[in-house]
Amino acid sequence: MNLLSIAPTLAQGPMPTEMGGATLFHYLLVSAIMFGLGLIGFVTRRNLIIMFLCTELMFQAAGIALIAFSRFHLNHTGETFVIFVLTVAAAEAALALALVVLLFRRKETLDASSWQDLKG
Amino acid sequence: MIEKIFTLWPEITLFVFTCVVMILGLSRSLSVRRLCAPLSAAALAIAGVLALTTTPDAKGALPHLPLFVKVLTCAVGLVLLLQLAGTADRGYETRVARGEAFDPLRSTRAEFYAFFLFSLTGLMLCGNASDLIWLFLALELTSLPTYVMVAISADRNSAKEAAVKYFFLGALGAATFLYGFALIYGGTGTTDLQGIHAALSQQMATGGINSIAMAGLVLSVIGIAFKIAAVPMHFYTPDVYQGSSSGVASMLAFVPKTAGFVALILVLATVGWVSTSPATHGQLPEPLHSLLWIMAALTMTVGNVLAVMQNSIKRMLGYSSVAHSGYMLVALLAGPGPEGASLTRNGLSAVLFYLIVYAVANLGCFAVLGCLEKTSSDGKSEEIDHIDDIRGLISTRPLLAWVMAVCSLSLLGLPPLLGFMGKLPIFSTGLAAGEIVLVVILGLNSAIAAYYYIRIAKNAILEQSPVRPAGEEIRDAAVPARQFAGIIAGLGTVVLAIIPISSLAIDGGTFRHSRSGVTNSPAQTLPAPVGSAEPATADAPTGPVADATVPPTIAR
Repeated sequence: MNLLSIAPTLAQGPMPTEMGGATLFHYLLVSAIMFGLGLIGFVTRRNLIIMFLCTELMFQAAGIALIAFSRFHLNHTGETFVIFVLTVAAAEAALALALVVLLFRRKETLDASSWQDLKG
Repeated sequence: MIEKIFTLWPEITLFVFTCVVMILGLSRSLSVRRLCAPLSAAALAIAGVLALTTTPDAKGALPHLPLFVKVLTCAVGLVLLLQLAGTADRGYETRVARGEAFDPLRSTRAEFYAFFLFSLTGLMLCGNASDLIWLFLALELTSLPTYVMVAISADRNSAKEAAVKYFFLGALGAATFLYGFALIYGGTGTTDLQGIHAALSQQMATGGINSIAMAGLVLSVIGIAFKIAAVPMHFYTPDVYQGSSSGVASMLAFVPKTAGFVALILVLATVGWVSTSPATHGQLPEPLHSLLWIMAALTMTVGNVLAVMQNSIKRMLGYSSVAHSGYMLVALLAGPGPEGASLTRNGLSAVLFYLIVYAVANLGCFAVLGCLEKTSSDGKSEEIDHIDDIRGLISTRPLLAWVMAVCSLSLLGLPPLLGFMGKLPIFSTGLAAGEIVLVVILGLNSAIAAYYYIRIAKNAILEQSPVRPAGEEIRDAAVPARQFAGIIAGLGTVVLAIIPISSLAIDGGTFRHSRSGVTNSPAQTLPAPVGSAEPATADAPTGPVADATVPPTIAR
């Protein structure tokens, strides 16, 4: 408990000078752009692996936002969250690649539009 | 912190059993492999008993929600288990019985049962969530195993296609609500649900919720809409239900949907349903109210209108799953109502009760589909799916026909059945909250829904059985457990309507109001690092721009 109660002080203090000009707004902007690009890519691309990478991009956008907020609020909750997010993203990546391999073995293509038997 | 662990005995038990099941299913001996299903059942039974005996952690705004979710999960999980029997590995086991050497790599039984239990563990954890991180992990634990279950539920291309569609939209949904959670954290400075509630009520008392937290709430609701199959994220539903085997489909209609609604209740409870006086019905703050209103109206209408056009029963049930989410969103929108409201005034109880009602009836319909097989065009036997396949079922298998009819009429909400008991509170809470237009849309939708539910019931019990050419006959699937599941569900829709089971749901939806601004003391509930940090926003690395968008909101 002692360690936890002194931990916040470690996060305090001014930003390193190289990042002196960057504010929370800039980090959020980057994260929002990443999220938007991921969303657009997901909707427009038809290659399964690229679609999956787009969802990863969206996950990492959330990660950037979390870390920026964590620094802004001067607590470690956001950083803790990011560790969990990375874990889940890794599990999801394993699952996605397994599914993609499964599909590729059946039809020898990664094109999402070749899998459209179910509709109506 | 440690006392929180003691409230988790059911989950821990289930998890330990899951690991055992995962190993036993790989055994070379058939009798050991067969233990998977009984062990899963034992795990669920023990977890259920533990859930009833463990003292829940009653700190949050919804003190009895965890108990409700755990008991419901174990009870429905047991019936689902009956229905999932024989789904994994049936073809492979017959080949092994014919003399092929058993190869653990080609067997899917272990994963199937283990992932089923993992998913249920996730659902139980969802009910217990007291933190956004916890909620995120629980939702993912609920969903990730189901993607695999869809893929291995049947050995045909459509199952793989369904799995991929489900997975990709699932990942999109997860990313969306994760971003929402991140923004909620940004707008309030904590991920603890009670802390968020305190921070947001403080913001509401002093000039409105800040835009970042509000954007976060909106994104969370849209992302979680994937789990409940509500409108912006509903596209996958019919495809996935049709592609996967019936047992897995009925599981998908229960487990992620329940998890989604529990998560929605928890997230919306952080804003609260604000009312002017304790006696009147509260309302969600504005952008959220409109969002849920539009979602509810579109979800019901889209689901029902598209269901009417289907000839595949599974697709029909898929769209009906969308429509039922719309009904439940109406009650969710209405909110918990005044202090100590009964089932007919408390929207949260109505949602929780409807989850039971929907799970039972839906399970019955899918169980009947799972009990019957026919030969598909490529010579393999597959579950029946087309509406004509159940025509005249009454003459050959009267019991299944009645189960089908009773369950589909219960989904419609015909008066003596359980479905009616579930739908009534939804109407009355909607009216009590003053959502007249929405209730009218709900009524119109019930009328549209009557067309396809009655069509199913009529095909099953009123039509004559057509003469089917040789090779296209309907056969019984050699899995008697599924018939039990169907009969239990069919009886459930009749018997549960008489037994007052709704009391559990009423307790579950009990909402602890906190009207006079900040009533929770966040100093006790926040984790230590947050609680001890000084509100040092002046020192925070933020320029004037960030200060304008995020007012210092570290509430304590």
